[in-house]
Amino acid sequence: MSSMGAISIWTTEPEALLTMRDISKSFLGVRVLSHIGFDCRAGEVHALCGENGAGKSTLMKILSGAFPADEGTIVLDGTVRRFTHPSQARAAGIGIIHQELSLLPHRSVAENIYLGREPSRGGVVDRARMGRDARRALSRLGSTIEPQAQTGDLTIAEQQVVEIAKALAVDARVLVFDEPTAPLDVVESGKLFRVIAELRATGVAIIYISHRMREVFEIADRVTVLKDGRGMATLTAAQATPDAVIRLMVGRPISDLFPPRATRPPGAVVLQIQDGANGHLAGINLTLRAGEIMGVAGLEGSGKMELARAIFGDEPFTSGEITLLSGAAAAWSPREAVRRGVAFLPDDRKSEGLGLRQSLRDNALVVRRSLSRALALPSRGNRAPAIFDALFRKVEMRAADVDAPVGRLSGGNQQKVIVARWLAAEPRLWIVAEPTRGIDVGAKAAIYGLLRDYAESGGAVLMISSDLTEIIGESDRIAVMAGGRIVVELPPGASEEAIMAHAVHGPQVAEALA
Amino acid sequence: MTRGLASLRRINPTILVFVVLLAAICWMSPLYRTPAGLLSLLQRAAPVVILSCGQSFVLIAGGFDLASGSLITLVVVACALITGGDAGWTWVALLASYGIGAAVGVVNGVIVARGKVPSIIATLGTLLSVKGIAMMWSGGAPGGYLPANLRFFGRYVWRHVPLVGRFPVAVVVLIISIAIMAWLMHGTNFGRLLLMIGDNPRAAELAGAPVRRFRMLTFVISALASVTAGILLGGFSGVSVDVGTGYELQAISAAVIGGVVLLGGQGSMLGAVFGGLTLYALFTLLNLVGFPEPMRVAVQGIILIAAAALSARRGRRI
Amino acid sequence: MSGAAIPRGGLAKFRLPLALVICAAVVYAATALGTAQGEQLSWSGVMGLLQRMVALGIVAVGQTLVLLVGSIDLSVANLISVSAVIASHVMNGNTDAIALGVLAAIAIGILVGAVNGVLVAKLKVSPLIATLGVGLVLQGVLTTSYETLAGSVPASFRVLAYGRVAGLPLAILLLIVVVALAGFVLARTAAGYRLYGVGGNVQTARLAGIRTDRFIIGAHIAASVTAAISGLYLASWLGAGTPWVGRDGGYDLDSIAVVVIGGTLLSGGRGGVAGTIAGVFVFATIDAVFNMLQIDPFLGQVLRGVIVVGAVASYTIRTKAHVA
Repeated sequence: MSSMGAISIWTTEPEALLTMRDISKSFLGVRVLSHIGFDCRAGEVHALCGENGAGKSTLMKILSGAFPADEGTIVLDGTVRRFTHPSQARAAGIGIIHQELSLLPHRSVAENIYLGREPSRGGVVDRARMGRDARRALSRLGSTIEPQAQTGDLTIAEQQVVEIAKALAVDARVLVFDEPTAPLDVVESGKLFRVIAELRATGVAIIYISHRMREVFEIADRVTVLKDGRGMATLTAAQATPDAVIRLMVGRPISDLFPPRATRPPGAVVLQIQDGANGHLAGINLTLRAGEIMGVAGLEGSGKMELARAIFGDEPFTSGEITLLSGAAAAWSPREAVRRGVAFLPDDRKSEGLGLRQSLRDNALVVRRSLSRALALPSRGNRAPAIFDALFRKVEMRAADVDAPVGRLSGGNQQKVIVARWLAAEPRLWIVAEPTRGIDVGAKAAIYGLLRDYAESGGAVLMISSDLTEIIGESDRIAVMAGGRIVVELPPGASEEAIMAHAVHGPQVAEALA
Repeated sequence: MTRGLASLRRINPTILVFVVLLAAICWMSPLYRTPAGLLSLLQRAAPVVILSCGQSFVLIAGGFDLASGSLITLVVVACALITGGDAGWTWVALLASYGIGAAVGVVNGVIVARGKVPSIIATLGTLLSVKGIAMMWSGGAPGGYLPANLRFFGRYVWRHVPLVGRFPVAVVVLIISIAIMAWLMHGTNFGRLLLMIGDNPRAAELAGAPVRRFRMLTFVISALASVTAGILLGGFSGVSVDVGTGYELQAISAAVIGGVVLLGGQGSMLGAVFGGLTLYALFTLLNLVGFPEPMRVAVQGIILIAAAALSARRGRRI
Repeated sequence: MSGAAIPRGGLAKFRLPLALVICAAVVYAATALGTAQGEQLSWSGVMGLLQRMVALGIVAVGQTLVLLVGSIDLSVANLISVSAVIASHVMNGNTDAIALGVLAAIAIGILVGAVNGVLVAKLKVSPLIATLGVGLVLQGVLTTSYETLAGSVPASFRVLAYGRVAGLPLAILLLIVVVALAGFVLARTAAGYRLYGVGGNVQTARLAGIRTDRFIIGAHIAASVTAAISGLYLASWLGAGTPWVGRDGGYDLDSIAVVVIGGTLLSGGRGGVAGTIAGVFVFATIDAVFNMLQIDPFLGQVLRGVIVVGAVASYTIRTKAHVA
């Protein structure tokens, strides 16, 4: 607690390259930012932490010129700046790597990096020069991506690098990383951190936003914590312990995040796969029992998402024996899976989970309606407020306005709506993919608790995740995948090092060891 | 309850516009100030309203159906050729019409849902083909009238009905059609899921909804609505290859006026009904003020754009 | 996601258009030989075939630009009629008025394109609806005022459709110029690169400092101008414009269909004019083949619908995503 004595709302060190001072912003009379300030020095990584709705992205949108602040000033390199369009912020040397990648999949890498700033003479693009410049920019980041490659063919991690090269191409002196590791696995995140370290060494000021505490502590020089639109504190790396930061963010320590593990021995077999294979997977053998949470870890491209999609029938197994609750289940569709009691929480909420313009009610009831007869009344029982009260109490969410479009909710609450949708259908097997991606700590804890409650009540959970903290904290068993195979099964509480060793070395090494 | 009120508020402008237009029509012409006059307005508006409702299913699920106009033509031509003026064949002709409609709907649906062809291209293609079939079948220039008992649905008016005096059969057809479609859209899981499918088909699929089958059904519903509209229109007018021309755009215009957001995920039957009524009332009013007939199309274009711009504005608030 | 490998760079980009052209040419030649109409394979026969491409080809180039930028233009058919009618009305048989007539048609094209573009880019009206609505307005106005707009083009203007330069029809040269110009802009200039950017992802383009609205409006103006040029060509071909010349030609559906068949995405951001022109060639051959086989015109219409849908489906059927 003594370190809290040093809390300063903002510091204006003379060498700060960027200072945001006393920033306030209201939307429709609701104050979302209240006198927030922080600064970032050249050659520094400054992390912004806070739950969803704490004001991080609003603050960064003001910095990027998406909209102006109501009050306060932005000082860049000693000059007060005011941005009214993103292009102005860009021109001033502020680059943003957005959470959602914004590259053009059908254009080449070079075309993406120089979009809007193509080197040209008399309007005609100098393609040779563009290619050379792109190659140089990429090699500066330690990458050997071919500038003429089609961007959509690259892996997510490679695209991330292209995105950084694009931001740097405007001679960015301030770089904002908004949840850059959300789509990355540990190895790729490690590569990204090396790139960030190199950028820091060249004197770029880096603002880093992430929900993943571990990486914040790994790379940040200073941490500023926001809560409810206010700056709580700016801590140095030495002061910022995980517990200190999380307590500032939510007011509870990290150990409370995960519920205790299963108390009862696992029950009957829910899912059994023997030699399951398709275009992405091979030799999948897996048994999952009632009451278990099985974590599936693996790098990007290891086949862990493909496994989820295969079991759910989205891209089904083409060979092998799949038994679900003592019935065969090969080559089926998501609809078939849902009817047989399988639930699926997709990793991409917005594009695969929700009808954003539909109401909370319609989103929460979509599975029940899909399972009912098409011409049955949608209203029978479903409109009763009691059902929603019970459902939403279960997911720790206030059912304030079930008729409001779900697009207005925060990420955490949107995820809870999807969880509620499946709870309402009472599934036997629940496949969850990246269940807490991009949601705040409070909602994370709630979802971990819900998954455990569900397992305790006799359900089986298959949890695919790139977040090793949650794999270790939540799973009863851990399967590690590489190269489309399950390479090893580890007991609960396995170390991150053990998981990574198997994930990186892949099936060949695992077989050689066996 | 609040939901009903909220949806009422959402489409309120259309109803308001319709009431204003209706008042203007009544003020211009004494003919429309009687119940019988209003009913005859409804009778004439029936095809557009039915089309608009059918089209709304497709629009709400995220598609377009441009084939409805030429399907109307095909239905009228088919009725004329099957009956050959012989009233005894009417029931066969009716059955055949709905069979043709269902087939066209299934073809559209399969091309869009299975072939993944964007519906605007798919239905423009069927528009061409269906019209071509109508021309081939009729030899290019069909004429004359349908038998009287087939024209009954569009034309016949019961007299000496208590309270209102005269009551057109078409209005009964209209009410039944609306009732069926409103039930499908608002009273069933099918309808609620269509909205979700239109908003995010992928999410609906992963929640277990039968996306392809329902998408296909929307085209069948739209086609069956077109058949109904065609039978009414065949009653109003003679047989020609132009009976259905332009009706697909009228149907889409009406649905857009009624607040069905294009590319899916929003809309209601109430809106579709009043969109159709508004469009027809507008045409009637333009007739009354002596507006040149071909200019109706231009006005329709302007209204269409205005309605879409308005709903784009409202939609952006979310 | 494995995703179909898309040919990139160099000649690979032209693989699909080439394949289309070769297939269509083979069918054409086989039909000509099979029906003993060898004259269809002579220089003049082939030129006749190519000339069929002109009206659709020019407007399809414009349609390519709007589709690439992520919009669509359903008003081109009616605009073609307007352009043809206005041009013949202004020229009214008078050689001196040719320049004025051309200017008037182009000016109307620019105006209509600007209206389309502003509706789509500024007022955020769905492009389908906006251009459909504008098309209806054009159709209504034209049908109403046609009688007062009667006229015909002077004989000297008909050189455009019937004249030849070094044995090559002038009209085909016109098409080549339009295609080359659009192709150059798309493949070589910064404006072209940015057009792809806007069509690929508006948000990305905006963040890159591109004035996206200008590109959308610009593409619409370009499309309308090509429609106006097609209208001028048809007036020259027919001697006078009529209010139904565009609609009867089905230029709205056909222009979209050939662009899609040529490999341009309906959602924008990928494609180009080479594919479009290959698509136009396919359509011209279909018509010619039907002619040679003396297929009933109504049956021809049915088959055409089937071919359009089938051709597009051959691209789309493997996509996993849902389409609307």
